[in-house]
Parts: sequence; structure tokens; C-alpha cells
Amino acid sequence: MNKRTFYPFLYSSISILVFLIIWEIFAKFLSNPYFPGPLSVLNALIRIAIFGDIDGYTLIIHIYASLERVMIGFFIAIITGVPLGLLIGIFPIIRSLSLPIIEPIRFIPPIAWIPLSIILLVGMSRYAFLIWIGAFFPILLNTIAGVKRTSVTLIQMAKTFGATKNQIITKVILPSSLPETMTGLRVGLGVGWMCIVAAEMIGGDPVGLGRLIIKYANLLQTDVVIAGMISIGIIGLCINYIILSLEKRMFKWRVEITT
Amino acid sequence: MILLEDEIIIDSVTKIFKQNSQNLEVINGLSFNVNKGEFLCIVGPSGCGKTTLLKMICGLDFPTSGRILIRGVPPNPNIHKFGVIFQEDSLMPWRNVIDNVKFGLEIKGINEKEAIRIAEKYIDLVGLKGFEKYYPHQLSGGMKKRVAIARALAIDPDLILMDEPFADLDAQTRSFMQKELLRIWSGLNKTVMFITHNVEEAVFLAQRVIILTKRPSKTKAIIKIDLPYPRDRLSPPFISYREKILKMFHEEIWG
Repeated sequence: MNKRTFYPFLYSSISILVFLIIWEIFAKFLSNPYFPGPLSVLNALIRIAIFGDIDGYTLIIHIYASLERVMIGFFIAIITGVPLGLLIGIFPIIRSLSLPIIEPIRFIPPIAWIPLSIILLVGMSRYAFLIWIGAFFPILLNTIAGVKRTSVTLIQMAKTFGATKNQIITKVILPSSLPETMTGLRVGLGVGWMCIVAAEMIGGDPVGLGRLIIKYANLLQTDVVIAGMISIGIIGLCINYIILSLEKRMFKWRVEITT
Repeated sequence: MILLEDEIIIDSVTKIFKQNSQNLEVINGLSFNVNKGEFLCIVGPSGCGKTTLLKMICGLDFPTSGRILIRGVPPNPNIHKFGVIFQEDSLMPWRNVIDNVKFGLEIKGINEKEAIRIAEKYIDLVGLKGFEKYYPHQLSGGMKKRVAIARALAIDPDLILMDEPFADLDAQTRSFMQKELLRIWSGLNKTVMFITHNVEEAVFLAQRVIILTKRPSKTKAIIKIDLPYPRDRLSPPFISYREKILKMFHEEIWG
């Protein structure tokens, strides 16, 4: 670790430590059984990780179940959002036809879809649908924006070489929009992951981080609830970090990639 | 120098843009010819349709009336090979130098191995040997222009079109790039149409300078620059050409 990375690391460590200390003091001071301090949350986390929850499912099983659902929903969001985004970005007619439908739907929050999906969907499709709703729009909108931001000069340059429409799409528009599409994937996966609690609230299965939270909320065991919430937060952070480093590696030519 | 075949014929070309139900006439009855292997500069006040003219010559836009013929047929990027160098940065930021130079060859369907060989040759010609793997964001403004020139030359163009290519460069780089361009051109025997609003640049580079009137533009004058290369910007004949063209240029701007 060199000097440039050491200080940010030091500051974040101090910041987290101070936060935990204040939280612990506050919990002690409050001494409310439903407001656990970080130590009892950590205790709960370890307990669930090793011995499992009331049904015997360990933390890793919950994490795996949630990740699987999110990945399925996210995958469907990619194969729908990216092609549609490209089509909308490239062909004005498709844009005019689809935006009047897509735009209003975009402002319906994933939670508003819960009642309908309870009635209409079962099993994995419920989870997948809610996560898809969350992940689809960031992917779609970023892909459209990427296509739109393709430099006119580059397209003209390709035309002067006699490039066909297909060549312009594959050799200019696609590579040019790829970074923005990747940003869309990162944001979409983040939003999809955040929808997991809502999705698992309505799914019947006893596993999943969202289900774990709900299970223990019903038992008023808030230490496990917070342990589950922290797991969701940390995993989301890891996913974001993995895609971000992938982006940085793929798009070295792009000077500005922000977190 | 007398009996050069006409490479390009611009014949009473008029271009009208429709803007909010108003007609904006940019070019009105412009005519001139370009000879094979010639270095021609077009100067004119800004907004006189120089870029529009260039776009019509490389088939990106079409005249409202009149015609443009290149070797007897209207411009068509599938028939003619255009090497266009734009004023703005036109490199693909996701491709390194060699892949950028290869781009035109890819479009023309040249096989990969041959394309790499050709690209390397032109990267060497423009003085960028050793920078093949660099990405545009790692290059200076002058180097990016060299890459664009190499890309244009790599397809062995029938015609090189340059739209104020050095306008964004600092004075020193600009003067250096002008000399470099002449060095590259002298070895290739290519027809070059170079658009600029910088009269000195035109006198330094061109065999003939076409001065356009202000909008709607037509040919104001065609001046043959009868000076050997390399030209000395401080020599009396150079200055006298420059003053002569500047005078006409200023007449157009301030009437």
C-alpha cells in the first residue's frame, strides 16, 4: 500500500470505527431491546452464518438464494434493455413508438408492482419480474444515452470511407455506446439488488436475505434484521466495485469513469 | 503544368438549407475545377459554406442544383476513395493508433494482415513509428492530426479533403504540421483540397487558391501561387501573394 492509497484507507477506517463507537454508545445509553448495538449485530451475524436461522438456513444459503434471483432478473433486464436501448437510440421511429409507453411506466416504483405480481405470478417469476422492473430502466436509458452521444463526426468519417449502415452500427455506434451501457448495467444491477427485499417479501420461499429480514422482524429480533440489512449493503457494494473495476479495465481509453 | 486533366468539376453548384420554413442560401452558382495531383486551397469568410462544399464533394451532402463530378461521375464513397480530415477530432477513442489507421481499410474490406502492413507504412510516413499502441487520449493535438492523415492516406485515396485541419493547433505545431503535410504530399502525387480561413496557410500550401465570396458564396477569384516549395514566408513574392489575397478576403468580410 503506497502513500496515495494509504491515507484514504486510514480515513475510511477511522470514519467507520467512529461510527461504530457512537452507535454502540448510543445503543447502551438507549438500552432498548429492539435497538441493538454493533456488537450484538455482529454476534447475530456470526450466529446466523454458523448455526443458521430458525429454519436452519445459514447466511451463505440466504446470500446465494438472493444472488441467484437477482442475477436471473438482471440477466433478463440485460437481454431486454440493451437491444431495445440500441434500437430506440438508432431508429427514431422506434423511439417515437416506444417512448410514450416506456416513459410513464418508468415512474411506477417497483413496490407498486407488488400487488399485481402476487396475483399474476408465481415462484421465481415473481422475484425475477420485480428485479427486472428495477434493473431494466437504468440499462435501457443509459444504452439510449450512449447511442445518442456517439459523435456525429465519427459517423460522417465512417460514411466518407463508404461504410454501410451495418458497419456504422457495429464499428462506430456500438463501441462508442458501450461504456454508457456498462454504466447502465452497474446502476441496473445495483437497483435490482436493492429490490431484493421487496421481491422476497412476496415470494414464498424461506430463503433469501430479504426473507431473513422479514422472518426476524416478525420475531422482533432486530439484531438479525440489521445483520441481514448490513449483508445486503455490503454485497451491493462488492457487486458495484467488481463491475466498476471491470469498466475501468475495459475502457482505459475513457479518461473519466466516476464511481 | 499546363495540360492537367480535370479531376473534379464543380459546376454552378447551389446549396439551399431549409430552416424553419426559411430558405438559407449558402452557396450560389459556384464553379471551379480541380486538377489531378493538385494542391488546392479554398479560403473564404466564416459561414460561407466551405464545410458544406466539402461535404458535398465527399458525398455527405448534395447540391440543391448544379452538379459535382469526380472523374465524370457524382461523388460516391463506394466508387471514389475519399480521405477526409476533419477539423474536429475524428479518431475513435476506443481504438489505438494502428487500429484507427486501419479503420478505412476495414471498411474497404482489406484483409487484416494486409491492413496492418499498410497501416504501419503510413504511421511511419506521418512520423508516428513507435506510437502504434497508443490511444488517442495519450496523444497531443498534432499527433492526433497525424493519425487522421495516416488513416486518410492508408486507403490510397483518389482525393484528400481537409477541412481546416490545423485550426485547433497552436501556432508552432500548426506551422510544423503544414511543412509535414507538404513533405507527405510531395511524395504521393495526390489531389488535395484544403479548406482554411487562414490566408497565410493557403499561400504556404497551395498551388492554386480559390477565394470564395461571403454567403451565398461563389468564386471570387482563383489565384495561382507560382512559387517553388518549400516556400519562405518572409520572401517578398510570398508576402505579395499574401497581401493580394488578404485584400480580396477583407473586401468580402467588410465589403
